[in-house]
Parts: sequence; C-alpha cells; structure tokens
Amino acid sequence: MERSVKFEPVCFAQRIKSMLTVDFKRMFRSRLFYIILAVALVMPILMTVMMTMMDGSVSVDPQTGAETVMVGPENTWQNIGTLPGGESMGGMDVFGMCNINMMFMGVCVFVGLFIADDFRSGYAKNLFTVRAKRSEYVISKTLAGFVCGALMLIFYFIGAVLGGAIAGLSFDLRGLTAGNLVMCILAKIFLMLVFVSIFTLISIAAKHKAWLSICGSLGGGMLLFMMVGMITPLGSTLINVVLCLVGGALFSIGLGAISKVILKKTSMV
Amino acid sequence: MNAVEIKNLSKNFGAKQAVCGLNMTVPMGAVYGFIGENGSGKSTTEKMICGLIPKSGGSIKLYGKDHTDADVRAKLGVLIESPGCFPGLTVWDNMMLQAANLSIPNAEKEVIHVLKTVRMEGAAGNRYKNCSLGMKQRVGIAMALLGDPVLLVLDEPLNGLDADGMRIMREVFADIVKDGTRSIIVSSHLLGELQKVATHYGIIRHGKMIVEMTADELDASCRTYVALQSEEMGRTKSLLSCRYSRVEADEAGYIRVYDLTTPEEIVSYLYGNGVCVTEIRTDRIGLEEYYIDLMNGGKREWKDR
Repeated sequence: MERSVKFEPVCFAQRIKSMLTVDFKRMFRSRLFYIILAVALVMPILMTVMMTMMDGSVSVDPQTGAETVMVGPENTWQNIGTLPGGESMGGMDVFGMCNINMMFMGVCVFVGLFIADDFRSGYAKNLFTVRAKRSEYVISKTLAGFVCGALMLIFYFIGAVLGGAIAGLSFDLRGLTAGNLVMCILAKIFLMLVFVSIFTLISIAAKHKAWLSICGSLGGGMLLFMMVGMITPLGSTLINVVLCLVGGALFSIGLGAISKVILKKTSMV
Repeated sequence: MNAVEIKNLSKNFGAKQAVCGLNMTVPMGAVYGFIGENGSGKSTTEKMICGLIPKSGGSIKLYGKDHTDADVRAKLGVLIESPGCFPGLTVWDNMMLQAANLSIPNAEKEVIHVLKTVRMEGAAGNRYKNCSLGMKQRVGIAMALLGDPVLLVLDEPLNGLDADGMRIMREVFADIVKDGTRSIIVSSHLLGELQKVATHYGIIRHGKMIVEMTADELDASCRTYVALQSEEMGRTKSLLSCRYSRVEADEAGYIRVYDLTTPEEIVSYLYGNGVCVTEIRTDRIGLEEYYIDLMNGGKREWKDR
C-alpha cells in the first residue's frame, strides 16, 4: 500500500498572525525598543529645558568679537513643527528639523538592528525554512517598525508637552486648533510607514550587517527627511492625513515587493 | 512517493559551481546519511532543500510537492550549521519563539516534550549564550523537532555531543522514522556513528552524487576480512602474499587478508611455515573505510569479494 503524508494547509491570516506574534513578542522583550522609547521621551524634555535655560545667553567669537545671542523656545509646539509666525525651535532653521521629525531618522536604528539580529543569530534560517512565503516576513517587519516608529512619535509628543510644562512655555496654538495638532501627529504616524518601508528594504538588503543598514538608511531617509515638515505641518488637515496614509500604503506595497524579491533571490544564511 | 526527489540540481556561486547536476532520492521512512568531503556541496544542497538559498537549476520535490510549497515547508525541521537562537534569550524563550513561529497549539507542552527528548529540560532557564557547545547542539535538535516535522534536515548534528547525546540522537532518529512516513537527512563526518542509524546513504563529491545505496547494499559491499599479527610481520606478509591475492598491511599494524578464507586456515598455513600468529580475528569493512576508499578512487573492488 502506498504510504502518503497529508499536509494541513495553513491560511495566510494564520501565518501572518504567528509571524506578527513572534515579532511583537521579540520587540516588546527587546531592551533596544525600550531604550529608543526612553530616548524619544527624554530628548524633547532635555532639549526644551536646556534651551530655555540658555535663552538670551551671549557667546562671543574671540577672533571677530561678534556676539551670538541664543534664542530659546517660546512655545511648546515648536517641538512639533513651525507655528504660524515662523518661529521654530531655537530660532534657527536647523533647529526647525531638530524636533519630532528626528524620530523619522531614529527609527532606522530599531529597524536595522531588529532585522540584522534575525540574520546574525541564524533565526532567519529557522524562519525561512518553515516559511516559504517571504512576503510575510516583509509585512511583519514593516508593521513592527511602524508600531515602534508610531510609539516613538507619541513618546516624543508626550516628552515635548512635559518639557514645555517644566520649562514654563506657552501652549498657545496661535490660531491653530487642537484638531490640527491631532491631524499633524496622525499624518506623521502614517508618514512613518514610508520611512519604515525604506529602512526595511535597506535592512533586508544589508542582512546581518547592521552598520550598513543604519548608514544606508540614514542616507536613504535623508532624501525624504527634508520634506517631512512640508508634508506634515502643524496646521495639518484631513488632506495631509489621507496623503500620508496613501503614500505610506503605496511605499510599503512597492518597496515591500522589492524586499520580497531580494529575499527570494539571495541567500538567507 | 519519496520524501525527497532531487533532479539535476545545480548551484553556482559566481564562476564556482558548488553543485552540478545532482540527483538524490530519499525514500519515506529513511534515515539518509549524506556524506562528502568538506566543500563537496552537502550543506549547499541541504540549504537548497530548505529554501535558504536559491537554486541555479534543477528541481527539488518534497513529498511530491515543489520545495517552495508553503504547506510542506511548514513541516520541515532543520539544523544547519548552528541553531538559530538569540544569544540573550533563555533556551525556553528561544524555543517558545520558534513554537509561536510554527503556530503550535499547546506550545508549552510541546516545548517541554522536545526539551525532555534531548534531556535539556533542566537547562531551559539558561541563557542560550551561556550554554556549552553540546547543549547548544541539543537545543538546535530540540528546535528542529518542534511541530512534529515530516522531514528533518540535520547538518552535522552529532558535533559536540557526548556519548549520551549520541545515544539520545540514535533513539530520536529511530523514533521519528518508525511510522515509515517521516524521513531524516543527516550529514556527518562521524561515519561510525552515522552507520549505526542510517538506512540509506548518499555520497557526494565535487557537487555530484557519486553513490546512492541502502544500508543493506553497503553491508553487501563491505565484506569480511581476516586481520592478524605475528612475531615476524615482514615474513608473514610475504608468505601470505604467495598464497592469497589480496593481502595488505593496515595503519593499525595488522595484516589484512581479504580473500575468502578462515582464521584457522591462515593459522595452519603460517604454522606450517614456521610463523607463530599472536593475534587473529575476522572483521568487516565499515562505512568509514568504504568511504575513504571511494574518495581515493575506489581502488579496491569491494563487491567482488
């Protein structure tokens, strides 16, 4: 009699659920994840308090004698974006970028190390042996990175509010509404998907080389970084949110497909 | 239906051809000893079976389905090179992660079961990075056993195992294949150990399968010989060479007579010529010798004897 083996078909939903379970379990047990969130929380508090303390301090160039007056923040929301009236954190354009938007670059550290860890430990080997579908891996990593990025933005926002309160800064929105602020944060969260997709692609290509992944991600992310402030201003509306959502979806599908091809065509060990 | 059917498999790394036109058949219920020198293409073939590296050509079928089929792949157990564990996590956490990855219901029960199988239940709380080489190997085997796999692919699973570990492995292998549907591909350089468990063999060289045979066929090929020592080895050898056609001195200091004869006949012949035999026994050619001879070009014609 012919012996045979029956294979129980496992549906996509079940496979992705187990993959996400593993990734989120790992993420929530990882020290790196909590360090990154702690940095996201503490950074705006320190920045706001220190820059408020330095407000009005004068530094003199010993050679030219030119004086530079340090301008501290006046409003808590300068940590989130530029207020109507053009004031940004520190009164300098460069500090206009040193706000919540830094989280878009910071998330590449998490994505890079998270994916590199899979390949370094040999876990990717276990994973891809029992999982023929590479797309599940890409989806799961993108979602894990997205959740981490979204949490970083939320933690930074909380830190900014706490920093503003500690430094005694104004919470006046200057004509903007709380709805605009919510839309701004929502738009930023959805825009995070674009960045995470780019970082996931670069990290998958770099495999176990975390340094290459992080350097590549910083370089690749920088191309889009300049536009974050424009796409998600403090006065964001529903249009900004929808644009970021659509962009995030398109980027994650498109770059996810490329990531899948890379995984399919290259060695996992 | 065979557990594994590979036809004309090839893999190129740039200009280097690691596997070329390899054919391999692993029947269901077999413990397939996959043997070859370092760099012969064993691990590359195993990695291609598991879908870890893309093949350059040929076909791989697992239980009649293409090796990329998600349902078949979900029933594979693998230990290639090293167990894929996170060093900072405990053995238990690593096992539970893989159990979650395999969507195993009652994961805790299953993890305890496989850890008990490899006698690692007492070390479940140890961080993986603090485990010894042998313990890591056992964890890797336990991980491969998770999810009741139908095909186990084990690359050098016996490395670093102590005598007890080897015995456990033999028991595990026997238990897995006893129902006749599940199969194991195991590559190892410990040929003596492999011979104790393998039911089939495949010998690969320069990326090509040079011999595939069952354990019975190997047994039939590896005939007996008489090994002896005397007080005058030089004279003994020349005397035996006059009477027998296949006489050789081995590395252990014995003279081997491969012709069909008995120790009594040899002792009587040598005694008649004034040579006193100090030790004599009959023995069999093992897998190791068969393999070494094959690698050296197969000068001996084992099957003729």
